[in-house]
Amino acid sequence: MKPLLIALGLAVSGLAHGQALTDADEIVVQANLAAYYAGEDGRSEARMMIIDAQGREQRRQFTVLRRSLEAGGDQQFLVSFSRPSDVRGTVYLVNKKVGRDDDRWLYLPGLDLVKRISAGDERTSFVGAHYFYEDVSGRGPDEDAHELVETTDQYYVLKHVPKNPAAVEFVSYVTWIDRKTFLPIRIEYTNAGGKVYRRVEVLETKEIDGHPTVVSSRTSDLSSGGHTDMQFRYIAYDLGMPTEVFTERSLRNPPRQWLKRPAAD
Amino acid sequence: MTVRLLILLLFVSPFAVAQDDDWNDDWADDENTDLQWTGFIEGALGSRWDTDPQTGSKGTLREGRARLETDWENDSLAIGFKGDALYDDIIEAFDLEIRDLTLAFSPGKNLDVKLGRQVLTWGTGDLLFLNDLFAKDWIGFFAGRDTEYLKAPSNSARFNLYTNLVNIDFVWTPVFEPDEYLTGERFSFFSPLAGAKVAPDPPLSADEPSSNVSNGEFALRLFRTFNGTEYALYGYRGFFKQPLGFNAQLIPYFPAMTALGASLRRSQWSGLVNAEVSYYFSRDDSSGTDPLIPNDQFRLLLGFEREAVTNFNIGVQYYLEWTQRHDELLEHSLAPEFEPEEYRHLFTARLTYRAMMDKLIGSLFVFYSPSDKDYYLRPKLTYRYSDQWTAEAGVSLFAGDDEHTFFGQLDDNSNTYVRVRYHF
Repeated sequence: MKPLLIALGLAVSGLAHGQALTDADEIVVQANLAAYYAGEDGRSEARMMIIDAQGREQRRQFTVLRRSLEAGGDQQFLVSFSRPSDVRGTVYLVNKKVGRDDDRWLYLPGLDLVKRISAGDERTSFVGAHYFYEDVSGRGPDEDAHELVETTDQYYVLKHVPKNPAAVEFVSYVTWIDRKTFLPIRIEYTNAGGKVYRRVEVLETKEIDGHPTVVSSRTSDLSSGGHTDMQFRYIAYDLGMPTEVFTERSLRNPPRQWLKRPAAD
Repeated sequence: MTVRLLILLLFVSPFAVAQDDDWNDDWADDENTDLQWTGFIEGALGSRWDTDPQTGSKGTLREGRARLETDWENDSLAIGFKGDALYDDIIEAFDLEIRDLTLAFSPGKNLDVKLGRQVLTWGTGDLLFLNDLFAKDWIGFFAGRDTEYLKAPSNSARFNLYTNLVNIDFVWTPVFEPDEYLTGERFSFFSPLAGAKVAPDPPLSADEPSSNVSNGEFALRLFRTFNGTEYALYGYRGFFKQPLGFNAQLIPYFPAMTALGASLRRSQWSGLVNAEVSYYFSRDDSSGTDPLIPNDQFRLLLGFEREAVTNFNIGVQYYLEWTQRHDELLEHSLAPEFEPEEYRHLFTARLTYRAMMDKLIGSLFVFYSPSDKDYYLRPKLTYRYSDQWTAEAGVSLFAGDDEHTFFGQLDDNSNTYVRVRYHF
């Protein structure tokens, strides 16, 4: 399992932009770094608007802290919810382990309960949104076979086929990866009927502390018609967070020093 | 009675201010210095299927509740508040309950302190508690109140010290805080003195320890997570949390008790395993010969949970209560037929299914004891209509072969409940 967090997004530097890559695996590795490993650590506030097929709206608002132990490797996440009121004070802690089950804990303030969460299907709703846990934390590059379908002026277009089809609900998916930033800009999932039934798309990116970063995205359920919009704000990288921020202490006593909004956006 | 509920709901409705419509406005909202008040209003109804011959009533839950919460913090200090105003029509009384009123600060880099009225939890069991000897409210739980209310608040001082070797969690509760115990007011129960199910009126009232310093409760946890495995050692000095003893006047009271225990929890077999043990020293009856005081007890818990298929989770637990010096217990007992088995075995299962992007959650929790030959089933459905409205309906079904066992004594109290909540 791999946990959380999309899009504290990221940076890739040093590659000659003019020269197109041709190795699909290399492109996927760069895209994974760009989307999930910007900076050694980072914080962001996030909010989601969940709109179901009937047009009913729900909201979520939370602050995310993220720290990478190694680029492309294990990561730590702390997600502190502030809205809606019934989840206010709930804190989610994840030790993401590449190639192994993640360790995950949830703190429920009403019960003062530190609940450990078992490894589960990553392709299930993240806090009631159309996003999956896996969208937020990143899908392991080794879990699919990658093929470079097309290279346009702006995008690498790749097709991905799961190595273990039984573990996922899609047959394949296609990503459009920005050639300059390596951020995946659009992902479309195809089901057994050959229909595109799910889309994740980036609506806006910004360069923050030198890292191209997704600040607005949308995930749509194309069969039901519902979608979730997600926005990130107050993003900061390389704050020097110590590993102790990501322990049980922070569940009961959220680390105000790091959760608090930086002075300027 | 229903009218009073309505009046209460009307009274609290001014607090139900419109939800912030902030998707398009400034994110700075959350950082302003005004206190933000949140909470909910809830109505709850629950009833037995038949009138309980002991209490003479069908109703188990009939209440209106308003919750207010807020917190305030600066860089060095945090103040929290959670309180309920409640009209409980079963006992025909208004009540104000403070669940949290705390001052939290960190006097050292590795020390956190939280003082005041607070809810406290530790241990690894799911609805089974070995080393968690903080106050619980099983009455509300049986009646179908939100699970949050299973944990009762206590007036405590909590100290957390974090070191590289081990973390220390120490809680001092100066005045003993017992569980909410069966009194006959809402639910009938088995009385070994009467040898039958009873619902005393006035309700049973146990003698509590006098409030001097030596009668405080001390709870200690040493814990550490190493390679994803959580290890903990526990100690407790205080009293049995239920009035399990009888004094010379045969009035129930809370006998002195000390507990030592340990637990671990880790990921295993694509799920979670947990194991916990505890030994309860009954300090006033260490020889096990006093028929009015419970004996020492060894408790063991083994648990495993995992996702069986997408959105469907299964958790199972085995739990043992091993009464020590059981021969002495029976030999001196005034009513050996009502004494616990030497080994009380209990199995639990929790099945949870999430549908409609987590808006609808169905769950079933089963307690089953082959040694007591009794069980307790808790099916429930929770529906989250929106961020504001949620509803829950469920059943508490108790049954057993004998009247004196833990769940068997409650078989006239099986009930169905429904709750509707508006969050603001």
